[in-house]
Amino acid sequence: MDPKFTEVSQVFQLFKAAFVRKDFDTCMKLLSQLKVTLTEFKSLPPLFEETPNAIQERTLARDIYEHAVFLSVKIEDQDALERDFFQLKPYYTDTHGLQPSTQEHPILGLNLLRLLVQNRIAEFHTELELLPSSALENPCIKHAIELEQSFMEGAYNRVLGARQTVPHEIYVHFMDLLAKTVRDEIAGCSEKAYDSLSINDARQMLLFSSDQDLVKYIEEEHPEWEIRKGFVFFQRAKESAPCKEIPSLQLINQTLSYARELERIV
Amino acid sequence: MAAAATMVSSAGGLLAMLNETHPALKLHALSNLNAFVDYFWPEISTSVPIIESLYEDEEFDQRQLAALLVSKVFYYLGELNDSLSYALGAGPLFDVSEDSDYVHTLLAKAIDEYANFKTKAAEGNDESVVVDPRLEAIVERMLDKCILDGKYQQAIGMAIECRRLDKLEEAIIKSDNVHSTINYCIDICHSFVNRREYRREVLRLLVEVFWQLPSPDYLSICQRLMFLDEPDGVANILEKLLRSDNKDDALLAFQIAFDLVENEHQAFLLTVRERLSSPKLQYSESVQSGSSEPDSVRDRNATSTEDVQMTDGTQVDNSALHTDPNEAIYAERLTKIRGILSGETSIQLALQFLYSHNKSDLLTLKTIKQSVEMRNSVCHSATIYANAIMHAGTTVDTFLRENLDWLSRATNWAKFSATAGLGVIHRGHLQQGRSLMAPYLPQGGAGGGGSPYSEGGALYALGLIHANHGEGIKQFLRDSLKSTNVEVIQHGACLGLGLAALGTADNDVFDDIKNVLYTDSAVAGEAAGISMGLLMVGTASEKAGEMLAYAHETQHEKIIRGLALGIALTVYGREEEADTLIEQMTRDQDPILRYGGMYALALAYRGTANNKAIRQLLHFAVSDVSDDVRRTAVLALGFVLYSDPDQTPRIVSLLSESYNPHVRYGAALAVGISCAGTGLSEAISLLEPLTSDVVDFVRQGALIAMAMVMVQISEASDSRVGAFRRQLEKIILDKHEDTMSKMGAILASGILDAGGRNVTIKLLSKTKHDKITAVVGLAVFSQFWYWYPLIYFISLAFSPTAFIGLNYDLKVPRFEFLSHAKPSLFEYPKPTTVPTTTSAVKLPTAVLSTSARAKARASKKEAEKGKPSDKDGDSMQLENPADKKAEPEPSFELLTNPARVVPAQEKFIKFLEESRYVTVKSAPSGFVLLKDLRPNEPEVLSLTDTPSSAAASNAGGSVTGQQGSASAMAVDEEPQPPQPFEYTS
Repeated sequence: MDPKFTEVSQVFQLFKAAFVRKDFDTCMKLLSQLKVTLTEFKSLPPLFEETPNAIQERTLARDIYEHAVFLSVKIEDQDALERDFFQLKPYYTDTHGLQPSTQEHPILGLNLLRLLVQNRIAEFHTELELLPSSALENPCIKHAIELEQSFMEGAYNRVLGARQTVPHEIYVHFMDLLAKTVRDEIAGCSEKAYDSLSINDARQMLLFSSDQDLVKYIEEEHPEWEIRKGFVFFQRAKESAPCKEIPSLQLINQTLSYARELERIV
Repeated sequence: MAAAATMVSSAGGLLAMLNETHPALKLHALSNLNAFVDYFWPEISTSVPIIESLYEDEEFDQRQLAALLVSKVFYYLGELNDSLSYALGAGPLFDVSEDSDYVHTLLAKAIDEYANFKTKAAEGNDESVVVDPRLEAIVERMLDKCILDGKYQQAIGMAIECRRLDKLEEAIIKSDNVHSTINYCIDICHSFVNRREYRREVLRLLVEVFWQLPSPDYLSICQRLMFLDEPDGVANILEKLLRSDNKDDALLAFQIAFDLVENEHQAFLLTVRERLSSPKLQYSESVQSGSSEPDSVRDRNATSTEDVQMTDGTQVDNSALHTDPNEAIYAERLTKIRGILSGETSIQLALQFLYSHNKSDLLTLKTIKQSVEMRNSVCHSATIYANAIMHAGTTVDTFLRENLDWLSRATNWAKFSATAGLGVIHRGHLQQGRSLMAPYLPQGGAGGGGSPYSEGGALYALGLIHANHGEGIKQFLRDSLKSTNVEVIQHGACLGLGLAALGTADNDVFDDIKNVLYTDSAVAGEAAGISMGLLMVGTASEKAGEMLAYAHETQHEKIIRGLALGIALTVYGREEEADTLIEQMTRDQDPILRYGGMYALALAYRGTANNKAIRQLLHFAVSDVSDDVRRTAVLALGFVLYSDPDQTPRIVSLLSESYNPHVRYGAALAVGISCAGTGLSEAISLLEPLTSDVVDFVRQGALIAMAMVMVQISEASDSRVGAFRRQLEKIILDKHEDTMSKMGAILASGILDAGGRNVTIKLLSKTKHDKITAVVGLAVFSQFWYWYPLIYFISLAFSPTAFIGLNYDLKVPRFEFLSHAKPSLFEYPKPTTVPTTTSAVKLPTAVLSTSARAKARASKKEAEKGKPSDKDGDSMQLENPADKKAEPEPSFELLTNPARVVPAQEKFIKFLEESRYVTVKSAPSGFVLLKDLRPNEPEVLSLTDTPSSAAASNAGGSVTGQQGSASAMAVDEEPQPPQPFEYTS
């Protein structure tokens, strides 16, 4: 067995132990070390050289990155999640003799959920299109799709209710974040739709359980709103720019020059 | 694509890795991305900002790799500017020698960019423009590589483009064949370097390189020095060669002189002549004996009323008490070279050649004359013009003499041009020009005997005879101008003076003409305007401002037009220097001045094919409100493009289909001017439909242009020439044809057979130098739209197509060489035949009045020397039609010095190896000095006092009369001046 491979395996064992212990700082350190070591393996993407231990090495690397994804969920680092997911992705798309991983669907679903949370709907659908139709039946992915549909329909309560039906424990974290996304969406709509709302209505609308939460939310996210006499006034964030003036002079000049050119046609 | 098959399907993973915190991961991602960028650039392009930030991160140690990656992505995105700037950031990682599209494209871009920078820096004189040293480094790396790899031409091209004269010099010196490299350099320098100033710099460098060579090519050096306008250098070289013991060096010096003369740069030649130091001798007697000394010509003429004496090289008084034989030889050679530099030797030889080889077809003229209605004065004068052009420089005025009655119908201005026509016929007849014209010249005081029209015409004729060599006649013309106040005579004198003093920028003459201008007489003022331009041609003097001011002041359109053209002439060849003036003229309110502006553009950028000028002209051609301006703008394109005739038909082809007849006319003449004498197939195809245009003046222009293109092209090489001749004949004979197109046809037949068919229209000398006289001649000629007598200016553009070999004594020895092509390809057009016998009888009467005497003299000499003349006559291969039918045409012919060699024939000329003479430079035409390998044998001379020059043993013996007169042509026996004739009206 290749000593480098052994070394990586050992470090990975340490990482897993720390992961179980929820010692995330150690995990981070070990992970970084693992990643650097992995760059030295020629059998891994993007080179895919067929070395004798290629399959084992790839399986190990995939395992490492899957753990990295879970770790980033645990430490609630969305950027890291995205990074790790993309580095993991080649192992799913370009298998090169690799056995499918059991974690594949949960992780793909997780990614979809992440996109939903970040309100990146376009990318969400791009990812969706790239999945084989069989994968769509998987509960993890189906969950994400249903959420997206509810989200689009505006059935926000259904989105929030979905928290109870998560197919994987790691999704819970995302459901909280999703609630926030939904709230932002509603706030944006209300702002456009109403001049003002009574605090009560606003609280219901924004799905808050208490007025304090509402006030706190307004202070943090929408300082331009004003709370007066039991009403929330949505100051129309700066009157929309006056509609563009028609560049009449320019048009006239252009037309005249066309006419002149037409006369001059050789 | 095996690599691609085992590759990842997306670069997303690697891109994600870029965001990792650990630098090792970033590096890993970068280097992998760099390897796969060719496939994944679309994905990477979205992450460019991240990579850019890596490049800008001072702490990241692989910034250059990041830069290279970004550069490649930008390259794929087509953002070459960004790509280049990042490639520069990549430093050594950007490998110049890599063989990939990316590197090639970026290198090209880098060189372009660098060249741009350097050009801007040089042109704006702006030292503040600092070229990125990294850019410079890349270009230098590239240049060095080219030189190392032996790709000198590429290196030279790049060096010139980038204004790196140091590298240029290096490339030239290191190349294996320095001479050919330099010639290549000169070629591209003339065709691709647009800035005049920069071109001079390059040439100056080339001259320096020339000097460093062990065996300098003096011919080339002198040409370059001429371009640089450095007469001192030329004079030094000539003097050195002349003082050499070796006779060959002297021959070379003569050759250089002839080549310089061909470029027609009068002012320059005069200076060279003056700078040649006089021999160190007590030389008093030569002054007295040498009224033929060229440097004394001017003073002598100030007082003399005699004709200008031709310098005769052998006339130097060798009996003088020479102390030093070397000095004596030098003195003798000096006299010869001065003769050559004055242009007189070549003019004299060309004149002899044209005279002896004259093959003009009087029958054509006769047909024209008969078919033209008597009362139609336009066609009448057109016939006279055609005659003059057909016999330009041949001194044969038989036609006029035979038809005195008919001629006398010319009245007023027609008389003016009839008289002036003599000047065209006798062009270059420097010795006897005065006496020839004497009967018509103003006698004594103002308005002596004859009609002012013939007097004015005679003065104009004198100018034409002495065009560009008018040192001798200038004073006489000035006197005539001062002593008259008849505007017709002033008109003629102004034109004559302008022609004679072409380009000399003589202030006294200028003042004289200015006085005429300020009389504000329309007729004289017009000529004065043109004349001032001729005088100041190419000087860009501030006089132009004066002229412009007067043009605004005067009421007369004619004067404005004359001045406009005059102003245009002053900026001849000045390129960018003229821009201010051109701008001023083209924005003027007055269409006539804008029209002058077009000419200014044409002349300032003559033959440069400068894009800016072409763009401007095309703009005016379609946008100006005045038809005149539009016509001229299109016409001017012909001048700008004449160095590259293949281009013109393409550029004006759209314009030739314009709805505006003026534009079509301009297009026709533009093609005529720039493709003159080339017989270019596209040009003919373009002109053909125009010759049957619906508008009469378009037909006129097209016919004239076609004739200019087809001059000296034989029917055998392009069958359309024959068709065109028949078309001309048909138009002339057709009673219902418009006068305008009829006139065009008559002129066209004149041009087609110009100069006894031994001349062509050439705007470039063999060394690609523009012939100032020719260009100016055509420019003024194109004015005939307004003023018919200006048609004669076309004669300035004629240059004899001859090979004239000269020996050390500047005589023409017998010397044979080979034209390796079928004779029929380049032969003279067959003389027209008339089925009736009457004209056949008439023909032999076309005899010069002197021919009887000459014939007698010739036969006497023949008898003395016992030499049958017909034997020599064969050599001209004027094949007997009967012989031709009998045997298949030979694939070559032997030509005898001097011989007609048309431009298309030049590439077939070969010199025989066993020949007695060897040429000093291998040129297929023009004046060529011959080295005598057997100096001890007696030389047989042709074109001199031996009667063997009976080259005119004519085809079919139809014109027997000229045979005798031809033999009378000799250095010391010039043809007698023809008897003066009087108008009988």
